[in-house]
Amino acid sequence: MLGMTAESTTPASVQHGQPLVVLDHVDKWFGDLHVLQDINVSVDAGEVVVVIGPSGSGKSTLCRAINRLETIQQGEIRLDGQPLPQEGKALAALRAEVGMVFQSFNLFAHKTILQNVALGPIKVRGKGKAEAEEQARTLLDRVGVAQQANKYPAQLSGGQQQRVAIARALAMQPKVMLFDEPTSALDPEMIKEVLDVMVDLAKGGMTMIVVTHEMGFARTAANRVLFMDEGRVVEENTPEEFFTNPQSARAQDFLGKILKH
Amino acid sequence: MSSVLFDLPGPRARLRHRIATVVAVIVLAAVAAWVVKVLWEKEQITPEKWQPFTEPQIILLLLEGMAITLATAAVAIVLALLFGAVFAAGRLSNHAFLRWPSTMVVEFFRAVPLLLLIFFVFFQFGSTLETFGALVVGLVLYNGSVLAEIFRAGILAVPGGQSEAAYAVGLRKSQVMRLVLAPQALRSMLPAIISQSVVALKDTALGFIIGAPGVVRDAKAIYISPLYNNVLVTGIVLAAMFIAVNYALSKLAVYLESRMRREGKAVVTASAGAAD
Amino acid sequence: MYLSELGSRLLDGFLVTLQLLGWSALFATLIGTALGAFRVSPIRPLRALGTSYVNVFRNTPLVVLFIIAVFGLPVLGIFRGNFFWLAVVALSTYTAAFVCEVVRSGVNTVDIGQAEAARSIGMGFSSSLRQVIMPQAFRAVIPPLASVYIALAKNTSVAAAFGITEATFQLSGLQRDFASRLLFNFAGIALGYILIVAVISLTASRFERRVAVSR
Repeated sequence: MLGMTAESTTPASVQHGQPLVVLDHVDKWFGDLHVLQDINVSVDAGEVVVVIGPSGSGKSTLCRAINRLETIQQGEIRLDGQPLPQEGKALAALRAEVGMVFQSFNLFAHKTILQNVALGPIKVRGKGKAEAEEQARTLLDRVGVAQQANKYPAQLSGGQQQRVAIARALAMQPKVMLFDEPTSALDPEMIKEVLDVMVDLAKGGMTMIVVTHEMGFARTAANRVLFMDEGRVVEENTPEEFFTNPQSARAQDFLGKILKH
Repeated sequence: MSSVLFDLPGPRARLRHRIATVVAVIVLAAVAAWVVKVLWEKEQITPEKWQPFTEPQIILLLLEGMAITLATAAVAIVLALLFGAVFAAGRLSNHAFLRWPSTMVVEFFRAVPLLLLIFFVFFQFGSTLETFGALVVGLVLYNGSVLAEIFRAGILAVPGGQSEAAYAVGLRKSQVMRLVLAPQALRSMLPAIISQSVVALKDTALGFIIGAPGVVRDAKAIYISPLYNNVLVTGIVLAAMFIAVNYALSKLAVYLESRMRREGKAVVTASAGAAD
Repeated sequence: MYLSELGSRLLDGFLVTLQLLGWSALFATLIGTALGAFRVSPIRPLRALGTSYVNVFRNTPLVVLFIIAVFGLPVLGIFRGNFFWLAVVALSTYTAAFVCEVVRSGVNTVDIGQAEAARSIGMGFSSSLRQVIMPQAFRAVIPPLASVYIALAKNTSVAAAFGITEATFQLSGLQRDFASRLLFNFAGIALGYILIVAVISLTASRFERRVAVSR
């Protein structure tokens, strides 16, 4: 369906196997609540890391901290060797390199599907309108919503909207893609169409950090699974090992609960 | 916290905010000082100008005036609630011969300035109604029409299952309205009704234009007296009295609304007359 | 005779009403938008200023503001003898409080996710404001802003009590000269206001449809 290659989605500057996203002794508090506790994570270029855990475990906060939609109070986050800028043009430039897909899609409500995808390249990258729209059409075609290009977000199903959101992020040619529970707001029949796009993206060599409850995706596409609970990374393993032989009691308990049905 | 407009601030943004805060405080203080200076130079902050408001009989006069204004507003609001209920029912009627005239009346009185209405009623019926009556009638026609719209919105906001269930147990339309819809709608409309009461109370001040009794007329007696010659100061005192009463009423509306939201009840917001 | 006299007085009156409306709407929009911007700014004293302004001006009866402006300001040497502009001061400072509320709630209707999405594709403050937030806030603001202008149009009538010969003022003059035709006089003036209200709401709904998209 996608036929996406590493060349088409990953900038040439990123070398496979090099650490691309590094979280170094990261701590965050919401008031008295210690939501991220001494997080140390390194994601290599080309790697697909799935973050799972019960709600309130801090996995979404972790994901959002990587492009500073949440701030951290201690520690350091590095992208491609550079510390995460705290504000201004440098932060905007970094965010342009990091694709983000939200649980609630967040497509721009007043723009068409095509405009949603072309907006970033035009306004942020300074591309010409024609070039940006052509690229947008190609991406929409890849995620299978090319027919909807001139509609507004509200006219699309949730699954279609989320695929557009992925295309919008890809249009910036990001070095890494963050997915914050991308299928949690979707009706069951639409989850697969979004996961298919994500699986193809993973096969194409995109570096991905995915917060999700979809264990099937974790098994088929992930290189590594991080299990979080109460603000800590409790367990880190290959999906194979994690699902068949979880080490910690909390992970066993969590898997027992969600895999029972 | 990040907001729709502003990203989470970094160190430079925080510094900018701190500088802007200091600058804003300095500018606001300078403006306030300038206002005080102008008032001082024009001899508005003198004992003679303010002294009247320490005299017991003037305080009493203004408090009595405010009591009359509040009473006028209260009478008008009670009658307007009745007017509103009748015309809301008319607009919700199944019969076109009730629905159409009700719609016309409500739309007409909402589109015409209240003062024009008061003038008209005063000129036409002033000899029998006197100023008080003309003011109340004007207030009832206008606020009643706004309330009719609030009631209609409130009834329409009750979930459809409620009236279906009521019909299913064999109630007639008037019973469904009276026993099932109205009681539920009334709760959700309470904040909007209080907001409209604030509007009505402010509008009651218009009565002084036709010479109706009330706090503004009493205040006028003070400021036109050559003895005091303090129209600006009186105006400020008058404004402060209304702000105190209305602020308390608004707080009550907000409190009721938040309590209802906590209880998960639907709330009708008062946009209809909120800008008057 | 009567009809032409009525016509010319209504014309005179509504010309003044429209001038009051136009100038007051302009200043109220400018002041109100600035105050609204203050209320959504990260600068605490500006937010406090916006909030206090709204609390003071929204809870003061317009007639009391008129007394302060028309009789009080000349004491300070402001617009001495110029009743028209003093009325504009009262009307615009009063209406600005409502414009401020409309602007603030308009910005707040925009979902925070829209701003986060704009930030994540690398848009800065001004870019996301122009491209994403303003267009959506603008759309949300049109209907309530139209209500504010309609209320303002009706509120200009209060100027009648302060010696300004606008439309409502004409009813007194007509009452003096043609008392027997009170209902007709009243209906004529009322019709003028209804026309103004209709024009504002039609313009608003037209405008809204043009910027509206299904969402």
